[in-house]
Amino acid sequence: MKTSFFDIENWREIGATLSRNKTRTFLTAFGIFWGTAMLAMLFGGAQGFEGVMRRNFAGFSTNLGAVFANRRTLPYKGFTKGSGWNLTTEDISLIRRLAPAIEYSSEMNNRMSTASFGTKTKSVNVSGVDGDYNRIMIPVINEGRFINSGDVSAGRKVAVVGKDIATSLFGNASSVGEYISLDGIYFKIVGVASQLSDASIGNRLDECVILPSSTMKRAFNVGNKVDFFVYTAPAGKSPSDNEATIRRILSSSHSISPDDRNAVEFMDISEMFEMIDNLFLGISLLALFVGFGSLLAGVIGVGNIMWIVVKERTHEFGIRRAIGATPVDITIQVLSESIMLTLVAGTLGVCFGALVLGIADRMTFDPVLGHAGFELTFRAAVTIVALFFVLGSLAGTIPAIRAMRIKPIEALNDK
Amino acid sequence: MNYDLNKDNVISLRDINKTYPGAVPLHVLKDISLDIRKGELVSIMGASGSGKSTLLNILGILDNYDSGTYHLDGVVIKDLSENRAAELRNRMIGFVFQSFNLINYKNALENVALPLFYQGVGRKRRNALAMEQLERMGLADRAHHLPGELSGGQKQRVAIARAIVTKPSLILADEPTGALDSKTSGEVMQVFRDLNDSGMTIVIVTHDPTVGEATDRIIRIVDGKIESNSQFSILN
Repeated sequence: MKTSFFDIENWREIGATLSRNKTRTFLTAFGIFWGTAMLAMLFGGAQGFEGVMRRNFAGFSTNLGAVFANRRTLPYKGFTKGSGWNLTTEDISLIRRLAPAIEYSSEMNNRMSTASFGTKTKSVNVSGVDGDYNRIMIPVINEGRFINSGDVSAGRKVAVVGKDIATSLFGNASSVGEYISLDGIYFKIVGVASQLSDASIGNRLDECVILPSSTMKRAFNVGNKVDFFVYTAPAGKSPSDNEATIRRILSSSHSISPDDRNAVEFMDISEMFEMIDNLFLGISLLALFVGFGSLLAGVIGVGNIMWIVVKERTHEFGIRRAIGATPVDITIQVLSESIMLTLVAGTLGVCFGALVLGIADRMTFDPVLGHAGFELTFRAAVTIVALFFVLGSLAGTIPAIRAMRIKPIEALNDK
Repeated sequence: MNYDLNKDNVISLRDINKTYPGAVPLHVLKDISLDIRKGELVSIMGASGSGKSTLLNILGILDNYDSGTYHLDGVVIKDLSENRAAELRNRMIGFVFQSFNLINYKNALENVALPLFYQGVGRKRRNALAMEQLERMGLADRAHHLPGELSGGQKQRVAIARAIVTKPSLILADEPTGALDSKTSGEVMQVFRDLNDSGMTIVIVTHDPTVGEATDRIIRIVDGKIESNSQFSILN
């Protein structure tokens, strides 16, 4: 004798049973609905929040190291405390040769200049960089191209202007091919660039004029002085892996005490990003914890209700057993109700969560940076529903086992 | 002791004993031996606490007995698994209860069809068979009514239709007229008579002498023992 799980009678009975206690069914279903919706929203929301936050660093290398000179804080080899020193191109050559973990690097010099085109003038930041700079700080090229290694090695008098400067000096007209004056020296504009996010090394690219490092040194008599040295570490390495070598080179070249940690300023941005990654991981874990908590509350609610349902229907189960229902038939009936409730309410909850995430994603969409990532993948949605299916089944199992163990004669006598 | 395992017997009990355990064990049935032949309409009568309901539960495979033997239509009923007991109840026994025991959120047709559902009969066929029995009970026009919308007599006729829908070997009725007025009781007893006339074996547990008198044989139980068996010989 077999009761088909898929027999329409089974499902009609489930519908009839659930609709007999509409308020109770609604409240139980709402618990599950809310549990799955919360889990979906927290799961996708944490991703979206991380996406929004990471936009602030878009285009900015996260494994970035930077070195610059500071005043000595310890007297050493005749140099007094408080005396200054400069990074030089020779230092950069040595560092590039000896440091163990450098992938891309660029020296950087900065100055303020007056930029003019025709009758229009504007005070601007000028930076001289090497050809790999655009691999460290990925720019948005609005027009033309960026400074390249050829420009640096040939010392070309070319410039890339920031988008805001181009707009100020050239309005809506194209600036590429025009000549811009920086403190009376003319440079041919080869590109217009801006930056993806707010994070930058020094000034915002949108408000800068970028020159080849060699050209800037010659044009503005900088000599061999270098303001900053920036670099990225290759995958699997940390910018800090170079610190000891860099300090040793600079200590030796500039008579800096090996114990003078402050004379050489060393920055490892990856450490900051690691903290941010940990923060996001913490947020994701918290979101999952809270989500699972909601889910668990919903599942416990189902188990509780099924327990009450079994107690209420003991006499009915007795009648069914008397006319031929096996313990397994009764178990299937109880489990079917629990599974049906969790599946329907859970699926609706996931759909609701996905809808809310979809709205959040639309609201945070950026034409340049794209979607923030408020989304629930199909896989994640199926996982949540499947999880609820399993937990819902488990929640129904204990009451179902109780229903299964009821003796027909005891059940018939239960009024 | 004379054992008569006649093939014509639907029920054959030999030396059945049943004791309910407890601080003071209660010996409810004492060496009950009994034969009920195919096509008989039998009543079991006795005072409250005499053991008649326990006997009915054992006959209906709803309860176990401690010792003795029980053959139901040739099948030995002893130490059955829950599944086997359910299968035998479904195929061989039809129950009619005093309080009807219909499922109140199912209509008359669905109630009658339920035993067939547990046999795995398809929906169309089980509904057709259930309707056939409701027509037999004169309740075709009430097929889609819920039990709450039926009178006591109609409810009991739905319960009888449910009991016979699987064409069982035996109908067991526990005080089937207990909740009905005398007129309706008479109508229900007439239904049992008609079913008996068509060859069904029916055992009715009752304390109502009118019901007892309407049966072919009265088995009286006193203090867990068969005191009298009005038509056939008692075998213990």
